[in-house]
Amino acid sequence: MDEEEYQKMIKRCLRCSICKWIPQVQIKSQKYATACPAIDLYNFHPYSGGGKIILALALEMGRIKPSEELRDIVYKCTECGNCAIACKFLNTLEPLEIIMRLREKLVEAGCGPMPKQKAYTEAVKNVNNPYSEPHENRMDWLPNDIKIDPNAKLLYYIGCTSSYRRKEMAIAAARIMNAAGVAFRILQDEEYCCGSPILRTGEIHTFQEFLNKNVDIIESKGIETVVFSCAGCYDTFKVDYPLYRDYNFKVCHTVEFFNELLEAGELKLTKEIPITATYHDPCHLGRNAERYEQWDGEEVKLIPLISINIPPKPKRTGKAGIYDPPRNILKKIPGLKFIEMERIREYAYCCGAGAGVKSAFPEMALNTAKIRIEEAEDTGADVIVSACPFCSTNLQDGISESGSKLKYYDISELLLMSLGLEPEKLKQALAEVA
Amino acid sequence: MLKKQILEEFQKTVGPENIDDGEVMTNAYAYNWCMELVNCMEEKEPIPFSPIPKAIILPSNVEEVQQIVKLCNKYDIQFKAQSTGLGPWNQPSSENCIILDLRRMNKIVKIDDKNLYAVVEPYVSGAQLQAETMKYDLTVHMPGAGPQVSPLASATSMNGPGFTSPHTGHSARNVLGVEWVLPDGEILRLGSTGLKNNPDWFSGDGPGPSLRGIMRGWAGAKSGIGVFTKVAFKLFPYPCSTKFKLKGISPNYEFDIPDFMKLYVMDCKNYNYLKKVFLAVEREEISFICSHLSGYGLGAIFSNSIESLMDKIPIASTHAPLVIVIAARTRREFEYKQKVMNKIMAEFKLENIIGTKYTPNSLFYAEALRSNLGLHGFIATGGFQSSKGQCDTATVCLNTTKMSIPLKKKYIKKGVIANDFGEGVWMTSYESGHYFHVESPTLFDQTNEKSVNGMAENMNENYQFDLIKHLGAPFFVEGDRMHDKFGPHMMNYHKWLRKIKEAFDPNGIADSGFYISAK
Repeated sequence: MDEEEYQKMIKRCLRCSICKWIPQVQIKSQKYATACPAIDLYNFHPYSGGGKIILALALEMGRIKPSEELRDIVYKCTECGNCAIACKFLNTLEPLEIIMRLREKLVEAGCGPMPKQKAYTEAVKNVNNPYSEPHENRMDWLPNDIKIDPNAKLLYYIGCTSSYRRKEMAIAAARIMNAAGVAFRILQDEEYCCGSPILRTGEIHTFQEFLNKNVDIIESKGIETVVFSCAGCYDTFKVDYPLYRDYNFKVCHTVEFFNELLEAGELKLTKEIPITATYHDPCHLGRNAERYEQWDGEEVKLIPLISINIPPKPKRTGKAGIYDPPRNILKKIPGLKFIEMERIREYAYCCGAGAGVKSAFPEMALNTAKIRIEEAEDTGADVIVSACPFCSTNLQDGISESGSKLKYYDISELLLMSLGLEPEKLKQALAEVA
Repeated sequence: MLKKQILEEFQKTVGPENIDDGEVMTNAYAYNWCMELVNCMEEKEPIPFSPIPKAIILPSNVEEVQQIVKLCNKYDIQFKAQSTGLGPWNQPSSENCIILDLRRMNKIVKIDDKNLYAVVEPYVSGAQLQAETMKYDLTVHMPGAGPQVSPLASATSMNGPGFTSPHTGHSARNVLGVEWVLPDGEILRLGSTGLKNNPDWFSGDGPGPSLRGIMRGWAGAKSGIGVFTKVAFKLFPYPCSTKFKLKGISPNYEFDIPDFMKLYVMDCKNYNYLKKVFLAVEREEISFICSHLSGYGLGAIFSNSIESLMDKIPIASTHAPLVIVIAARTRREFEYKQKVMNKIMAEFKLENIIGTKYTPNSLFYAEALRSNLGLHGFIATGGFQSSKGQCDTATVCLNTTKMSIPLKKKYIKKGVIANDFGEGVWMTSYESGHYFHVESPTLFDQTNEKSVNGMAENMNENYQFDLIKHLGAPFFVEGDRMHDKFGPHMMNYHKWLRKIKEAFDPNGIADSGFYISAK
């Protein structure tokens, strides 16, 4: 969104509150009708998507100034984008993009991001990951028996969270690729943060440095395809990078890749997993994983006050999210009964961890996770499955905090079990959970 | 901002996390849709912000509301209550005002499926309530503003026409028992909920004289006469199967249209013919939806963007179209309703253009069932407001429509409102055609000062026109200026309204910017 578009859009909120709800026609109960964790938890209107558009306008009009009060509201948002899906059912506003731009403006004004987010931005600059872990430990997750092909054209990009905090996901993904006989390489000590956490807190310049560094490295190695098990890295590479720079490799998430391997018969699921599972769509893998489409049309004034875009300007409505592959995988696991929550796919409720919320507002992250856990419990499932290390961490925190009997698995872990991996090896994977 | 001592008293009532008097919060609550139009009509700067409230407070129950109102009286601070908060009526008219955002009061207190009513708090949305009532094969009336707004607000404090009105009535006619915090802090329970023994919510009248008229009158007091904390209103049979299955991704959902549901759009060619057909259909009591829309409105309800509206030119060029949806629970009922429609079409020599000239996406049927059609009015310019708002006979409503066309065209010619050939109205029927409502949604651009000024001028001239031509009071006769304008022409009702205000709000604590002051 350029500045001109931003200035136009911030004047157009109808204050209709549609952004607070999932699409109206999808509402199935009072309990699970809402879309936005921030307004659900903090109640005052400015916490909603529309409320933040009003804040953007008030700031531009000089009615309010950059301040801690403003910053705290703007950053209490997981940028999950559910408001944008609801708004765009009929309107053309882009609440999520406005929120991201508003954060950039607060950073430019020296008011953002939140102090804890500043610390991790510094960590990314210094040690290439937001967790302040030594860069040289990035490959510590890698068991000795994983086969790596240094000349492969397929790259597995692990990401900071799986490398340092959710190692079980990285191990499972690597083992599955080994089981399918897929030749892949990793970047070893040349893998750096994708930049997602700094982009989403408004540190746009630092983000661009990392974007360039990552694309340069990958392109220099002649990589054809990059596979991600981290939904955040995937979304950032797939959707955000092309806004700044084109690249010449393909990207896909492990759920897409593994689903293809299953379809092609390269993976055989043999072991029964007798559980009832529900699936949480990560925002980064679902609605937000839709690329911006190039639009070279023009706005044509039809009659006074009414203009149309010729050709129609594409709206990002979550239509290109990755929804079916993970469901296909789960449905293929023998013995697994799959059951849906009420809020799914493009209007799935967020886990609560994204866009710097987990670090700056841990209570908000936890309370949001508890809402989602309750929704999963209400389905009667005994397992909640997802495909994102942020969701993994936060939903497991939510399970633990709420005393839920639900178990969390990353989808690759279930896949691994169903492939019949020996228990010792699975135990080895689970033992490394950070 | 509030003085520290006052702030602390409010904090004691609701907890410190539920009140905010900071610059950011209060400025955000000063914004609303069409506020630039209201400002312009009051000869103020045409910006979308009202006076900034002193604070925003979020009560969670009636006792907290009562305590807040008492504190307002104690410190001579006005209050404005809002539920889902859409529209300028939610805005304070002075800076000596706090906003009560009733968002935390969001319980469905009761669904009585045997006696067909529900009791809700202010922040239950229409869609939420409908989702729950559908579990009992029941539905709820929702205003044209959409399923995301509060049915309590519509029932107690606003006008309340809806697309499903032939089936679900009008907000004013559906309201039963009410729990009401008066402007002096007393709690009043209306109807059977005020009974000493075995109070319940099933009736809005008695014991003793009914106060429903005083509570809401024609179009509600917009918080100018207190805060409504619970309301009971009628529920209605869901018109067909409640199986509700959507496929695909928003907004391009595909809907499994229920077996016994059918849409008719008939081009009645002129208003006289439209009236006859309208009345004939409504007399048969078969419709779930029965609305006249302009060609633009007709195209809009089938479109989810201005670009997709362009594909609807063939149907948007109809004259005096009538949109009817019938729905049934059994094949026999469905066949009967279709037979009646066939008979009417034969009698009036009309044809259904649905299925011949045009077939809408299946999503239309889902939105019709979930009362989501009104929001389509925003797709052309992003802004509209209705310059009329009558409830009267079909004859009067259609006369209003006809007579107002030249006036609307004048502003279309000026380029300040969008061109709907002057015909842009929405008219729907109530209670088997006993009365109708008509309003004139007028498209303008809220970000264009010339358009806002022109729209304001158009609204003012329309009001004058309604007076001269005896066309009744439009929706937005609100505030002293408008009541003083219309009252003398309507049996001095404004004098009586002032007496009500004075009796119920002796200290003038309930903000009356969109009601009337005692003066």
